Amino acid sequence: MIKTTMKITKILIANRGEIAVRIMKTARLMKIRTVAVQTAVEPGAMYLSFADEIYDNTEDNSEISVFLNIEKLIAIALETKSNAVHPGYGFLAENAYFAQKCIENGIIFIGPGPDALYKMGNKTIARELALKSKIPMASGSQGNISNEEEAAEVADKIGYPVIIKAASGGGGRGMRIVRKPEEMERNFLTASKEAEKAFNDPSVFIEKYIENPKHIEFQILGDTNGNIIHLGERECSIQRKHQKLLEEAPSCALNNNLRKKMGAMAVQIAKAVNYYSAGTVEFLLDSDMNFYFMEMNTRIQVEHPVTEMITGIDLIEQQIRIANGEELKIKQEDVKLNGWAIECRINAENVQAGFAPDPGKIENLSLPSGPEIRIDTGVQAGSTIVPSYDSMIAKLIVTGKDRKEAIKNCKLALDKVWIKGTKTTLPFFRLLVRNQKFQDGNFTTSFIEKDLEKYYYNSEYEQMLAAWLATKLFVEENLEEDSIQIDFEDGKVMSPWLLNKRVNQF
Amino acid sequence: MNDKLRIKKLYALSSENRKFSFSIPLKNKIKIGKRNYMVQLRSDEKLGTYILWKNRKYPVEIVRSRQNKYEILFNDISYTFTVETPFSLQRMKVLSSKRGKTDQETIKAPMPGKIIDVLVREGSPVLRGEPVVILEAMKMQNEIQSSVNGTVKSVTARPNTNVMKDDVLVEIKID
Repeated sequence: MIKTTMKITKILIANRGEIAVRIMKTARLMKIRTVAVQTAVEPGAMYLSFADEIYDNTEDNSEISVFLNIEKLIAIALETKSNAVHPGYGFLAENAYFAQKCIENGIIFIGPGPDALYKMGNKTIARELALKSKIPMASGSQGNISNEEEAAEVADKIGYPVIIKAASGGGGRGMRIVRKPEEMERNFLTASKEAEKAFNDPSVFIEKYIENPKHIEFQILGDTNGNIIHLGERECSIQRKHQKLLEEAPSCALNNNLRKKMGAMAVQIAKAVNYYSAGTVEFLLDSDMNFYFMEMNTRIQVEHPVTEMITGIDLIEQQIRIANGEELKIKQEDVKLNGWAIECRINAENVQAGFAPDPGKIENLSLPSGPEIRIDTGVQAGSTIVPSYDSMIAKLIVTGKDRKEAIKNCKLALDKVWIKGTKTTLPFFRLLVRNQKFQDGNFTTSFIEKDLEKYYYNSEYEQMLAAWLATKLFVEENLEEDSIQIDFEDGKVMSPWLLNKRVNQF
Repeated sequence: MNDKLRIKKLYALSSENRKFSFSIPLKNKIKIGKRNYMVQLRSDEKLGTYILWKNRKYPVEIVRSRQNKYEILFNDISYTFTVETPFSLQRMKVLSSKRGKTDQETIKAPMPGKIIDVLVREGSPVLRGEPVVILEAMKMQNEIQSSVNGTVKSVTARPNTNVMKDDVLVEIKID
């Protein structure tokens, strides 16, 4: 193997949580030093323990999070002598101005160039580029829509249902499906308002809404010499409110022929912006196997591990090498998809209340391990899921030789995850792996809304056991004089071990 | 004291009115079919409080308890029960048959957040599924919808104010 000299010697991690941990793990293997930023929001967070250096930013009382503060991050990189920045996902990962600022200050931005970030970040420009590159797309508005009257006109022309999307959007925000003309005005206004709040840009555009599609995305890798390859697809149709919950690689909806065709299109659109680094091209696939370009995500994605598990390629390492100026050593024909991988996003959410966030302190945590299991997490027992960031607790990634085995292994692994302190998405995944349609691969992006009657699984006797516990508490509090203790806070009667738990929370 | 000793049975009523009955004194055994199974409430440093049942551990937590009402988190799922004695159960039956059906729906905040917009006012007619309030939580705008057809009786939600989970937003008189 040819030894290349590493220009990159120290990486500032402009992120937190599991992705910060993930990046630092690979950096350590590559013998590159890392700097993590300590914030006042979570000064004891787990990701800090993976860094070679910690920059103390806890005194920063600026209203804006340091991970969104371009000037501050550049200053930290310079002060800590970091000659590269990895933005992770979210925050500034797809911010062209940040990438530009890094370059101007002699710092390597581990990601694509500012031009590609800008073009793909603006969904209307991305649409035009895709059109020019002859990538199949859903019909839509020419550029942005300026008011609700124009929105109604365009929708009439392309036909309902339509989807309103934020031009600078992503992650489901500023997105609204409109089925009837009379719903247009309200939806246009909320989408635009939400887009302005979330992305500082109220512009929206309209597309024909593809009913019941599958969400299929292709992982691509490109270097600065113009080599671009794809690493196969990920199936991300299990989502709620456009937020992905479970992803797999590969997708059972694709055969080799379609995979080749879609992969070639993904490479083609990436070429149109001279893309380098890791990126994802998202498509919608309809029931007739027609596919439509949706958008390109110009960052490492939350669900990247499923691709890593079936290709054996470390995507963070590739990102760092490409940023270092190295040529891509993997050729398209070298990419082999082996086995199956499934990722469950275990979030602090209440599945019984419409997946509402349920932030709080993780009291107890025990995660499974084994040859088929990979866990990517940024929390440990005692960590707090804070409301200011996303609700991710851990990603459970399970593999198998085929889809059936991966689902079986996933089912077993889910029963070994133990999280106390917040409600989680675990009961949802326990339901999903037992669902016949899911097992058959017979599902689309509307699966959760349309095919599920309830969002959680409980075995036959669980409710009865919970009833037994409620009764036991009642007996302790009301029928057994000896064990009664008074909580002086509000005169409530509590059992000793319940009181104990409450004391522990302080 | 003597009253308490006389209780021979307790009933845990779930929120969807499933009734579980237990003989008092409460045993650490539950009969399924012909067999008795041991159920144990335990606690340790690593796992916290759990129930051991048929060789499997299930995480449990008391989310809330007030008077005879309990919210229990069992294996990550929340259950709400009211525990009734034979007397209170009898009284409940009498009361509910007198009261009849409820004619009012209270819409509460499903999560903490900020009110972005209030789409109805007092006296507005609303249909089931119609959005009444836009609530922003974790940077997502959520439409809070009416679950009934009716007329708005009162509006407590105010735009640009923060609300806690279960704060009353709108009350609707059911048609």
